[in-house]
Amino acid sequence: MKKLLFTLLVLLLAFSPLTAAGQEEKAGPPTLNVLFYSPELAEQYNDMVAAYKAETGVTLDITVLQTDYRSVLTSRLNSGDVPDIFMSSAYADNSTYKDYVYDLTDEAFIQELEPSALQGVTVDGRVLGYPFLVQSHSFIYNKQVFEENGITTLPRTLDEFEAVAKKLQANGVQPFATGFKEFWVLPQTAWQAIANVPVENYGGYENFVSMLNTGKLKFKDIPEMSQVFDLLDLIGEYGGPKPNESDFNDQTSALATGKVAMIHQGNWAEDSIRKTNPEVELGFLVGPTGNNAETAGLMFDSNQTIRIAKDGENLEESLAWLEWLTTSEYGRNWIPGQVKQLSPIKGAAAPDSQIAESTTAMLGEGVPGYPWFYQMFPTGTEQQLGAILQGYCAGLTDRAETLDALDAAYTKIAKAAF
Amino acid sequence: MTPLKRKQLSRAMVFTGFTLPALVAILISVEIPFLMSVFSSFTKWNGLDRAQTFIGLENYKELILDDLDMWKAFGFTLRLTLGSVIVTNITALLLAVLLDSDLKAKNTLRAAYYVPNIISLIIIGYIWRFIFSAGFESFYQITGLEFFMFSWLGDVKLVYFSVLMVSVWHSLGFYLVVYIAGLQTVPRDLIEAAMIDGASAVGRFFRVTLPLIMPSITVSVFHSLSNGLKAFDVIFSLTNGGPGNSTTTIALDIYRTAFVINRFGYGTAKSVILFLIILILSLFQVRMFKQREVEV
Amino acid sequence: MKKRRSLASSLTTVVLSIIALGYLYPLFLVLINSFKTFSEITSNVLALPTRLVFENFTNAFRIMNYPQYFINTLIATVVGVCGVVLVSSLAGYRLSRTKTRYSFIIFMILIAPMMIPFHSFMISLVKVAKELHLIGSPLGLGVLYWGLGASLALFMYHGAVKSVPQELDDCAMIDGASPLRAFFQIIFPLLQPVTVSVVVINTMWMWNDFLLPLLVLSGSKKSLTLQLAAYNFFGLYKVDWNYAMAGVLLTILPAIIFYLSLQRYIIKGMVAGAVKT
Repeated sequence: MKKLLFTLLVLLLAFSPLTAAGQEEKAGPPTLNVLFYSPELAEQYNDMVAAYKAETGVTLDITVLQTDYRSVLTSRLNSGDVPDIFMSSAYADNSTYKDYVYDLTDEAFIQELEPSALQGVTVDGRVLGYPFLVQSHSFIYNKQVFEENGITTLPRTLDEFEAVAKKLQANGVQPFATGFKEFWVLPQTAWQAIANVPVENYGGYENFVSMLNTGKLKFKDIPEMSQVFDLLDLIGEYGGPKPNESDFNDQTSALATGKVAMIHQGNWAEDSIRKTNPEVELGFLVGPTGNNAETAGLMFDSNQTIRIAKDGENLEESLAWLEWLTTSEYGRNWIPGQVKQLSPIKGAAAPDSQIAESTTAMLGEGVPGYPWFYQMFPTGTEQQLGAILQGYCAGLTDRAETLDALDAAYTKIAKAAF
Repeated sequence: MTPLKRKQLSRAMVFTGFTLPALVAILISVEIPFLMSVFSSFTKWNGLDRAQTFIGLENYKELILDDLDMWKAFGFTLRLTLGSVIVTNITALLLAVLLDSDLKAKNTLRAAYYVPNIISLIIIGYIWRFIFSAGFESFYQITGLEFFMFSWLGDVKLVYFSVLMVSVWHSLGFYLVVYIAGLQTVPRDLIEAAMIDGASAVGRFFRVTLPLIMPSITVSVFHSLSNGLKAFDVIFSLTNGGPGNSTTTIALDIYRTAFVINRFGYGTAKSVILFLIILILSLFQVRMFKQREVEV
Repeated sequence: MKKRRSLASSLTTVVLSIIALGYLYPLFLVLINSFKTFSEITSNVLALPTRLVFENFTNAFRIMNYPQYFINTLIATVVGVCGVVLVSSLAGYRLSRTKTRYSFIIFMILIAPMMIPFHSFMISLVKVAKELHLIGSPLGLGVLYWGLGASLALFMYHGAVKSVPQELDDCAMIDGASPLRAFFQIIFPLLQPVTVSVVVINTMWMWNDFLLPLLVLSGSKKSLTLQLAAYNFFGLYKVDWNYAMAGVLLTILPAIIFYLSLQRYIIKGMVAGAVKT
């Protein structure tokens, strides 16, 4: 009998937490449950939360993740523990989360946003997300290093980039920090090299992607892919002795200290660079599209998106928060002033960011600003295609094999997604 | 009820009472959730949609016939596991024997070798990445050895060794603890008896100690085998499967299939296959080793 | 005899110590970097700090909400470890003594989880945990740990029991004690080395566990663990290296102290002593 009693005791112990854990607080002003990424913005999030609480009494409980973000979000949406507000990419993610997002089209504050920022979150005329930031990526260069090495004309074509790299190398300066260790650096570098091609030859980005999705078009049939490989070859050749080990950290610290002259990155890198060396002066270079100087441009889009869960417990409060973010004085100034990036809100101030200044200046001069069309590829392609390109840079596959691998991976993902 | 029957019933009740708590805990935390996931392996599901489409064995067909990447990853995983099981267990056992004898700084050394096992793998990945690139560059400048200029994480031919080394470095302490515990269950009087019989230290080890610590060896090999086949964290933080996909293990492939490409049903099918493979290999290994275990 | 042995053992100590220094070099890097400023770290990881930036620790301590999360982590770990030791020692012992095919099958069922990759069932586990109301509290997390840690512990007990003579079982029960009491009073103390190992191993991984707490606790800010808090310093793009290093040290320090203090409690040859009596 004693053993039975003992077993019962153990089982009872197992279930006692049920009573202890099930205490939820329902009284008082609402708390919004928020799941975001970009932990580099943790301080800015905290500041905003404090400001919102002071003004309205509503608390935003923000959990910030990065690498495990997707698996946690999937798991929570799945188990019914839905966050009120979460984040995702634009474009392809519109369909990924379609069962969970609230349609924002009829909200008044949407009118306050730049139409260009809304294009990534609009599907069939419905706005399914709120553009969080407007970002740009291309080649960032250290102005002082260029000056010290007598480089006065900024390169725009592959040949010009090569000439600049040769000159730097001859002076003992490593031209590039490749960033090839990060799989995501490769797609952003590569696709920029053919950014003009979908519009010129394939009837626009949507058509281009749709042709890839249905298999009507393959990467190996696109002659301009050679521009991509040429660019990757160039960066790898002039990227120091261990080009495949260079990660984001290496890129930002090397550029900040002047060890290298150029990196391919986006405006989000500026904070790390300036933290390492507050005296640094940065600027943007266009991304070469082969040897055509006219089509070389920047990649400029709003990809990071805030989404409201339509089944969230605090839907009204969540919408109220977005409205405050768009229309209140603090809210309008938050992104340019605190996050220091470009804001999607109409008429917002310019941020204290050298790269953002450079971006605005260049776009003003007529340099093309291309959307991040590669985010329209089905979800999962960024990592898969990035890894394949990484393999090319490491010498695992030659150009023909790489193109075949890209096609095979893309086809598989597209098939499974539709 | 006959006295025999009563005794048998009593034995059965004791057996149940002793094993039931563990069974319930394991069912709740692992086996029931796993069976739930297995159900998903028969569906086409992205892990998020409210509806799951039943597609029978399609996922399994695809992974056996049409997924070269998965089997490449599996091949790499096998190579890595073989290396890590052998190196880790032999080193840990050797170290355990040395640290179980009468050395002065025994406790400090035990702690020293154990500490890497406590550190989070994200940190380990970052630190080792730095050592391999920036650190090695500095070492090269100091020593001039070619060794330091190789691209240990970027060169496909070398990256296997880098990953193996970091894995062993991280897990050695764990098996050290297991082996030390095993060594301490060897009854002192048996060792003394062997010494009296004139056996050398090496002889004592192979004739007396080794057979008696077979249980520890079984546990460690089993654990390092299944952990090796499930290897994820070290790869994720050190190379993220790169360069290209050359160091992608099967667990990483599964993770990406389920959470990056959003093919959750397909990913679960892959993990079921992985589990079956581990199960078969482990059954084999445990059976083989348990036969060598000796009772006092 | 004694002198020669002590020379060999001194030599071994020296060699092992030198290797240990190299072995710990990466940890040394974490240590020195935790005292540097952000820009010092990113410009040169290997350099020694120019001055000791203690603010990294005080700031990390504050940002991480250390006291509260320390308690949370402690609760989860203690509940988890106690449960694992309890259920595994009982089951491992009984299964090892019962040498039937049935017992072997149950044994395999109980250690099978060691072969199942966590990612494959973690989402379902969250669902199950939610049903059982084990979500959102460190206590619930500890309960979930029982099933996750029991398999290896059981395996270890199963093997270790073999070095305890079977005569002892009968001896203990002759006095009329129940099997349970016999186990806890006689057998369990003899398994002390294994118990210590089980406690150490499980304490370490539960204290440092990341993924399950992330899935189960992330909805409730007051329930987070130290590892989760330290992780917040790590981003894909920007990492607050100075705080991250300090945070990591603050997180693993209790675990190291715990390990060092437990080492003294492993007593050798208890079995021999019991057999003599």
